[in-house]
Amino acid sequence: MNLTSQNWAALMPLLVPSVAACLIPIASLDKDQDTVKSVRAAMFGMALLALGVSFFYFTRIWATGQNVFFSNLKMDRLGQFSGIFVTVAAMMALLQLWDHLHHEGWMKGETLSLLLFSAVGMMLFASTTNLLMMFLGLELLSLPLYVLTATVRFREESIEGGMKYFITGAVASSCFLMGTVLLYGLTGTLELDGIGTAILTTGADPLILVGAVLLLMGFLFKISAVPFHQWTPDAYEASPHPIAGFMSVATKGVAVIALMRAFPGAIGLHTATGQRVGMALAVLAAATMIIGNLSALPQTNVKRMLAYSSISHAGYLLLGFVAGTPEAYTGVLFYLVIYLAMNMAAFGMLTAFGLVGEHTQFEDLRGLGWKRPVLGVAAVITMLSLAGIPPMGGFFGKYFIFKELVKTGHVGLAVLGVTASLVSVYYYLRVVVALFLEQPSESQVREASEKPEIQSFLSTTTVLICAAIILAGGFFQNLLVDGFAAKALKEGIEILR
Amino acid sequence: MTEWMSNHLLTFLVFAPAIWGLLILCFPEKQAPLAKLLAIFGAAGLFFISAARLLTIPPEGPMNLVFAEHMPWFSVVGLPVEYSLSIDGLNLWLVLLTTFLTPLTMLGTYRSVTQRAGSFMALILILESGMLGAFMAQDLLFFYLFWEAMLIPMYFVIGIWGGDERKYAANKFFLYTLSGSLLWLVALLYLATKAGTFAPGIMAATALGLPFSVQCTLFLAFALAFAIKVPLFPLHTWLPDAHVQAPTAGSVILAGVLLKLGSYGFLRFALPMFPDAFSHYAKPIAMLSVIAIVYGALVAMVQRDIKKLVAYSSVSHMGFVMLGLASMTVVGTQGAMLQMLNHGISTGALFLLVGMLYDRAHTRMISDFGGVASKMPVFTTFFFIVTLSSIGLPLTNGFVGEFLILNGTYISGFPWGRVFATVATLGVLLGAVYMLWMVKKVFWGPENPDEDSGTQHLHSDLSVREIAVMVPIVVLIFWMGLHPRSFISVSEQPIVNLLHSAKAPDPRVRVQPMLKPESATKDGLKDGLAADGAAPAAPSISGEEVRK
Repeated sequence: MNLTSQNWAALMPLLVPSVAACLIPIASLDKDQDTVKSVRAAMFGMALLALGVSFFYFTRIWATGQNVFFSNLKMDRLGQFSGIFVTVAAMMALLQLWDHLHHEGWMKGETLSLLLFSAVGMMLFASTTNLLMMFLGLELLSLPLYVLTATVRFREESIEGGMKYFITGAVASSCFLMGTVLLYGLTGTLELDGIGTAILTTGADPLILVGAVLLLMGFLFKISAVPFHQWTPDAYEASPHPIAGFMSVATKGVAVIALMRAFPGAIGLHTATGQRVGMALAVLAAATMIIGNLSALPQTNVKRMLAYSSISHAGYLLLGFVAGTPEAYTGVLFYLVIYLAMNMAAFGMLTAFGLVGEHTQFEDLRGLGWKRPVLGVAAVITMLSLAGIPPMGGFFGKYFIFKELVKTGHVGLAVLGVTASLVSVYYYLRVVVALFLEQPSESQVREASEKPEIQSFLSTTTVLICAAIILAGGFFQNLLVDGFAAKALKEGIEILR
Repeated sequence: MTEWMSNHLLTFLVFAPAIWGLLILCFPEKQAPLAKLLAIFGAAGLFFISAARLLTIPPEGPMNLVFAEHMPWFSVVGLPVEYSLSIDGLNLWLVLLTTFLTPLTMLGTYRSVTQRAGSFMALILILESGMLGAFMAQDLLFFYLFWEAMLIPMYFVIGIWGGDERKYAANKFFLYTLSGSLLWLVALLYLATKAGTFAPGIMAATALGLPFSVQCTLFLAFALAFAIKVPLFPLHTWLPDAHVQAPTAGSVILAGVLLKLGSYGFLRFALPMFPDAFSHYAKPIAMLSVIAIVYGALVAMVQRDIKKLVAYSSVSHMGFVMLGLASMTVVGTQGAMLQMLNHGISTGALFLLVGMLYDRAHTRMISDFGGVASKMPVFTTFFFIVTLSSIGLPLTNGFVGEFLILNGTYISGFPWGRVFATVATLGVLLGAVYMLWMVKKVFWGPENPDEDSGTQHLHSDLSVREIAVMVPIVVLIFWMGLHPRSFISVSEQPIVNLLHSAKAPDPRVRVQPMLKPESATKDGLKDGLAADGAAPAAPSISGEEVRK
């Protein structure tokens, strides 16, 4: 088989992390006490290098503006966008993982390997239009995540969360596969384009609707939209903070992008099937926002709060699908970029403050903002952005989506959306209150003075970078939207046909 | 540099405090005294620059052409948003009020904040940026951004440096204000997507083409956001909590400037964009204003905490502002403009004075005091002057504002004007009752003999620094009372244009002044006054007499 340079270009960003992921476990076999530290550093370095190379390849393809492909792997603009998205999220997670696993005192090589495999799966998931390839990507991203959730094996909740995630995830995957089978059986093709045209010619077959709905369930599970959200808080709580952040950002992001390829991309929202899917999305988006935000209110654990918040953000993202205009999808992509920064910073903040294990209650954050002001300010920026307060990037993400929603006549949903985000302000402010408005209790002060100073240079850096991205999203939207999100959309897929 | 300044004066005014504040925020805790000094000098410098630059132009000229900056900011995904700042007759004095009050507040509370004082001053500076930006912004999304961003520093000022219930008060303030503005955002987006821009003139033209019921809904969404900020009865419940818990500087800025943004929003955006809806709802607004006037006064009467009393008096005074706006007459609106400034000066000064008393006595309960006059004569003098201005004694600023508003309400074309004016006059009377009552108990009553009472802790009269803060305020109180013309002459022409177009039967005429703010002629002035329905009375008040 002769591979052209284009084929190589499409393949390399996935190949490099895969090879690295295979090599890292071999390195971790070395149990010699003298060399363990340097081996550990080498493993992290290797993983980081692999992701860096992948990121470099993506940006280079992006700069040339080509749409490269390798068989079913389509590295079009949208694929490149998701590739950059995933590699950035994975690199941040990796940097935070170094700190976090040191705090936990639990260091295993396979963690890195699994993270890389999961990242490769995500890239594959979002850069193909073949349903079977998509399923492969889905499995490749999910299976390592199930294991990663249960990484810290000595914690009971960890195993429990991993198990829950695995069982529900397996059901969702089988739904996705069943949907694929049905659509293949009825249309005779696995390509999304082919399925789209076949639906247009055959009209509304009820079985096609069943297939489409099953497919949708697979996506919605990964986006963690209501009613497929129950696994989210448990899984996030169980997993190490950086993994939770990576799951919430990258999984959701690629699922949204893949959903874009499937629903408005192939099965247009104007067809009979598409209209029903659109209606279902509208109802689910509303339910997701309501349930996500209301459940986040009474949480006492920051990570569970962030889990419910990520559910509610899934609702806002789905609102973009309801509006269904190219501008709305551009807004969704912009939102994803900001969301990456916001959630990586929110979970990274916990790592950077050195809160591990059970110490992720709101009380544990008390007064930490004054102790480490720079990090505290970055955390406040993150929280205000999650709440959608200008001039942070999060406001503009919501603004772009709500604007299109109002424009397409869904004023009621927009009102619901802003009301939901008003509710969300309260629980995000609780973090701010704990960081800056409250004093630590005496026992906390005593505990803190006994412990050695927390070293978390890497995770602090990632949080600061994220805060910078959030502010950039608030002041230089042009750059991100025109240069990045809009291009990915326009040259990636034709949304409205 | 100087050339850049003269071309981008407004940009400088808006962003210089924030940048200065961010720099000061980086100061370490140990350098707090230096940080405080730098903050005060920065704020004072900004006031001198703003006063020197903004007051040079002739008051009658087309000033918004001199001070205006427009450029496209971002137009991603369809809707262009403009970076648009300008100063005209409607916001000139409000901008100056902001730059005037900020350094005075900082100086007045120089010693009140002991912990993390540098960060406190920095936040006040950032807040100043937000307020100035909101007053100057001419693009509605731009305005919205400032409007919301302003909440963040205020939230921290109340939440970190406030009283015992500060967390509750800060959260309440933040969520309450946000709840109104989020619905407003939806209305804004609805209108902007129809108009294809956030420029108020074009949006107003679009709004006129919509069905009346839609106009009313949109107006209500606008009004909700603004009314919460004012605050109009029954949406005032966040105010006492915020004021009582906030540190002195926070209260001064909150009462002095932040509340004005609500009434300014009505005047600048709600009234010209939805003239029909405004006159449709003028009666309910006026009724709520009158209720606010009387209710605020009655509740103030039973307060035991001086600061809470002043907070409720704010509700009452802001009711006057809204009554003046609802009258839709030139006189009444001019009165409202003046009353905004009056309230900023007088109530700001009252909060400052209460803060000075609290710094010494560590209590604000009326019953803890008595006989303060013999211990602090200078303080008593200042407090009494400010009290008189607050209750609207002739010769002080309060009188002119309230008089114009009541006059405007009385002569307004609406059949209910006279009743409301009469009831509101009762509010003036009640204002005198609760203020004088409080002053009598605190300053002249028998000295509280209890060892732990507030009076026993008053060892020193006002320092030079505190006197330096109060003197400019007292000068302004009398200046505004004796020669109000110098403060309301600039806003006369814009208001005449605004009301004239709002009442014109032809929709095309209505939007013209918003598109070209200075296009109206002298004829427009006369028409505008004639359209008030009480032509003989109106010019004599707003024009000739005050001019003398």
